[in-house]
Amino acid sequence: MSEQSKPLLDVRNLAIAFQTDSGMIRPVDDVSFNIYPGQTLSLVGESGCGKSISAMSILRLLPSPPATYPSGQILFEDEDLLCADESRMQKIRGSRIAMIFQEPMTSLNPVFTVGEQIIEAITLHQHVNSRQARDIAAQALADVGIADPLRRLADYPHQISGGMRQRVMIAMALSCRPRLLIADEPTTALDVTIQAQILELLRKLQEETNMAILLITHDLGVVAENSDAVAVMYAGKIVEYAPVEEIFDRPQHPYTQGLLASVPKLGQDVERLHTIEGTVPPPSNFPTGCRFHPRCPSMQGDPQCRNVIPNLRENLPGHWCACHHAENYPTAPATHPTVAHTRQYS
Amino acid sequence: MSEQQTIIDQPLASPPVSWSRQVARRTLARPLARFGIIWISIVAFCAIFAPLLANSHPIAIKMQGEGWTSPLLRHLTPADITLLVLGIVGVPILFLARWWSLSTRFLVVMGITLPTLILSLIFVRTPGTVVYEWYRQAEADGRVEQVIRTPIPFSPSDRLRDHPNPDPPYPWPPSREHWLGTDINGQDIASNMIHACRIAMAVGFISTGIAVVIGVIVGGLMGYFSGLADLLGMRLVEIFASIPTIYLLLTFVAYYPRNIYIIMAIIGATSWVGDARFVRAEFLKLRNQDFVQAAVAAGLPLPRVLFRHILPNAVAPLLVSVSFGVAGAIMAESTLSFLGLGLVDEASWGRLLDMARGEGGGFRWWIATFPGMAIFLTVLSYNFIGEALRDALDPKLYGGKA
Repeated sequence: MSEQSKPLLDVRNLAIAFQTDSGMIRPVDDVSFNIYPGQTLSLVGESGCGKSISAMSILRLLPSPPATYPSGQILFEDEDLLCADESRMQKIRGSRIAMIFQEPMTSLNPVFTVGEQIIEAITLHQHVNSRQARDIAAQALADVGIADPLRRLADYPHQISGGMRQRVMIAMALSCRPRLLIADEPTTALDVTIQAQILELLRKLQEETNMAILLITHDLGVVAENSDAVAVMYAGKIVEYAPVEEIFDRPQHPYTQGLLASVPKLGQDVERLHTIEGTVPPPSNFPTGCRFHPRCPSMQGDPQCRNVIPNLRENLPGHWCACHHAENYPTAPATHPTVAHTRQYS
Repeated sequence: MSEQQTIIDQPLASPPVSWSRQVARRTLARPLARFGIIWISIVAFCAIFAPLLANSHPIAIKMQGEGWTSPLLRHLTPADITLLVLGIVGVPILFLARWWSLSTRFLVVMGITLPTLILSLIFVRTPGTVVYEWYRQAEADGRVEQVIRTPIPFSPSDRLRDHPNPDPPYPWPPSREHWLGTDINGQDIASNMIHACRIAMAVGFISTGIAVVIGVIVGGLMGYFSGLADLLGMRLVEIFASIPTIYLLLTFVAYYPRNIYIIMAIIGATSWVGDARFVRAEFLKLRNQDFVQAAVAAGLPLPRVLFRHILPNAVAPLLVSVSFGVAGAIMAESTLSFLGLGLVDEASWGRLLDMARGEGGGFRWWIATFPGMAIFLTVLSYNFIGEALRDALDPKLYGGKA
């Protein structure tokens, strides 16, 4: 929680390339962020902006080939995960870094019971006998608020509801007490009341264990409620990176401003919702200069936007932005962006 | 409110029913599949208990001035003993020991059967020369006080040498003594049919087992890795798909001594391509499923992901292909034996069929009908089971996996 502690995960200048039939594409380019213990970082952006593959690359889950990493480092507890071999990654996956997926309906193996799946993960990473593993599994289910955990262990995934399955996924992910949890749109497939419960649960478990969470989402409501810091991604790059209050109170990048303006607000009667004109370009055809410039309302024909790639620079204290037109956009070369902010919940 | 209550309570009310059990239930609901399973069970029963059903050696005999002895037990081979142990101890454990999980039961049965096989191979000495006629002659001479015989008192290779000049000459049509008649050597057809169940079961399961193992490994690797592995694997599949099993078998038996295990291996090694294709398709479909990603993200090693998490989900189409594969293997062995190129000494339905053609163009209806019926019913049964399985596994017919 302290602002001085070292980051748990430090992603530096990460680029991910894919060899495709039509040549090399780079859906993620020069992405840097870090996460401190106990911090929740939200990675926000439209579909196809590269947030999921950035997250998958942390666990090295992208099939390689075709995926390659032309540059960058992913430092987790001072170890570069991009250099780790497969057996080292297997030790880290599930025990130090865990991941929960978007679709609880399909994230559990339909042919095994809930218990078999949790116990498998536990016995893999912890030196316990089957009886102890069973107790840990039951406790993990109880921790995520599942009633009668011993009986639920014997259930097959198709017998329990979507919200319960996501709880099981969380229980499985947290059963080995990971330091970092990557949550890839954990609530997108759930209805709103269950969504709130799951996010509340994650926050409570985070407070208990001081783990870090990388939350990937496109739902700004979820971001506002649950994160400490926010990184906004557009077309494979981070365009703005700041504490959550800053993002919502003083958005600097025109894309972030557009996203926030597009959120419908209760009690406001408007004819049409605000939209950002145009669509996200495909990775095979990213624009030159600032990748947002063809859709940008504040560009106004500036040739700099068309030709010069804006770096992520600290234009307000602790607030990083990549836009030539942002207030106070420094001309100094970029340093390593970091936001150590954690907010206090009342 | 009360309606909502029932919806919430429903999953609690029904006990956990695994998908495999549901499929088994749906398969067994079909009368044809039930018929198939009954017939296969009869064949399996005959295969396991063949020496107790048809044997020239009496189960127990009391000669004049001597005590009871059991020539049948003395002449059991290690294979007979292992099968009997499997039938008497193993099968009841497999079906009745519900307190163990299926895999535990399977392991227990293997744990009993394999040591039995090894011990009996080491310690059991089966007499090399067998004189089947001895007991019948002793009985005719009145030296036997009491005798208990098997239901069919003839071994499959008993050539009735106590009738040196049979009248009428062999083959004899069905009679009270020989229920299904004899073949051209005087060997009892009923006895041969019962002992032939062993070859049918063994050929069916061992060659299909070989095919499944190769198919799962090749298909699994193709499907999971796709790309280059898939490309090369598919070419391998195409090469093997173009090898005709029967011709390869014919070529082989023309040059090398006939050996049932090699025949099984050849049938297995040429019939895995279908299995590989099915497994590949399933793995291609499943590898991008979230639960596979989740398994990798949980840190499971690759073999565990492949064979513990993906394979059980890919088993469904494989089961269908297996049941048709068993039928195909039985047909291949019968064809080979019918052509006179199968096993020489072992009882086999195909070999019996071969003898139905008389030298003078005559047709011995009893030699053709009974083994023919057995082959027909067995192949049909496996096809019925395969078809019922295919329907039971079809989510379109049963509204999803739930």
